[in-house]
Amino acid sequence: MKTSQRNTWKRALGLLLAAILCAPALTGCAAKGVAAYQRENLADPIMAFQTRAKRDARRVRALEAREGSTGGIGGEGGGCACK
Amino acid sequence: MQVTPRMGRGLVAVTLGVLAASPAAAQATGDPSAANGLFRLFVDSKHVLVRSLVQDFSIPVAGDVNLSLHWNNEHVTVPGVSAPVGSPEAIDAITTASRPISGDAYQDYEKVRNELEGQATRGPVSVGYYYSTESDYVGQQVSATYNRDLHDDQLNLSFGTSYGWDDILPLENQRSTTAASTKNTMHWNAVATQLLSPTSVVRVGVEYNHVSGLQHNPYRLVYAGGTTVPERHPDSRERRDAFVKFHQYLSNRSSLQFDYRIYDDDWGVFSHEVAGGLSQYVTRGLYARYQYRWYRQSSADFWSNDYTTTQGIDGYLTGDYRMSPLSSHLFGVSLNADLSVLAPDSPTLRRFALTFDYERYFNNENYSADILETGVEFRF
Repeated sequence: MKTSQRNTWKRALGLLLAAILCAPALTGCAAKGVAAYQRENLADPIMAFQTRAKRDARRVRALEAREGSTGGIGGEGGGCACK
Repeated sequence: MQVTPRMGRGLVAVTLGVLAASPAAAQATGDPSAANGLFRLFVDSKHVLVRSLVQDFSIPVAGDVNLSLHWNNEHVTVPGVSAPVGSPEAIDAITTASRPISGDAYQDYEKVRNELEGQATRGPVSVGYYYSTESDYVGQQVSATYNRDLHDDQLNLSFGTSYGWDDILPLENQRSTTAASTKNTMHWNAVATQLLSPTSVVRVGVEYNHVSGLQHNPYRLVYAGGTTVPERHPDSRERRDAFVKFHQYLSNRSSLQFDYRIYDDDWGVFSHEVAGGLSQYVTRGLYARYQYRWYRQSSADFWSNDYTTTQGIDGYLTGDYRMSPLSSHLFGVSLNADLSVLAPDSPTLRRFALTFDYERYFNNENYSADILETGVEFRF
């Protein structure tokens, strides 16, 4: 990738990061209406992020050995026999 | 930003101290005891075979602390080279898996990896230690996370950090000699999870990794300037990414999931990842999930299809296809059964949950892989 292209992408990344950091504060006001008794569907296994957390971590680990990027769930682990 | 190993350890120590002193850690977790067993099979088009046996335990211990333990025993079989050792044709045979070339290189090479991880959670604070060992690699990591609910539990903020230090101990190798080396990884992340409505939730996060030390395959050679030379990558890499995940519950007892991740590093690799999923209940306690993932990345600055000199680009050479322009696809399907719902009257069966996952991965390098997982969970 050429330097100019990369700078464009970096600006895009910067904007996305800024949007991500601001999003919780903005949406926090909008979502005050979700009371505890309304969260039954959100707690369902097909909705909960936690249901897939370990599965996603194993996938990221496997894909780190096949692709040049990482991330999406948390930290990098050390060591991988399949790399 | 340069993060030295000493700085990294200091930062993690300070974070651990702050977290341990947190007064907000006084809530009981209430997590029940559970044991998970999982068998995972990975087979790829290069005939690399990985068999993993994973065990996870979660138990409440003294006070309000929950302890989770994870053990993974992994057997890896790397096929023998298919061409004379040292020839350009032999290089591709070891592209995706590291193995030394010694003795009879035409024979399969087998290695075993064991991974142990412990994590203690008290209220919103978690600390963990990770240890991984194999014949030529020892990895260790300490980690800490803190999360807090805000706005009447509509918003959860989580902050995590980890520091990893790996010892790389290359085995005897006929084709190259690499001295024992180290790799250190400093990681930070911040993640926010926000309820949007009674049927939708979004999670956003940013991550940063600084990696220093040996980051190429000590056994791999690169064909350059008419000869073969050892692979050489820079010894420092800054990696950052941001992601967003959105889940929407639908009225027919199904849910849609959407993931997007953007990644950038100072080696020149830039990538996008888009994934979508649909989870659908077949009956109460049994649901299926279908998923698709698309990934695309640019090449590293020092990657080339054809190095004309042994100096490569800026002194670096790579034979690793992960440094090349790459795109990939992944399709997956899974079945998840909760026997506490399917067989609530059976005192034994109702303690179990079963999972079955199959994924098919392929990329533009003519590489493909099949990944199969079967898991059993037992709740005490």
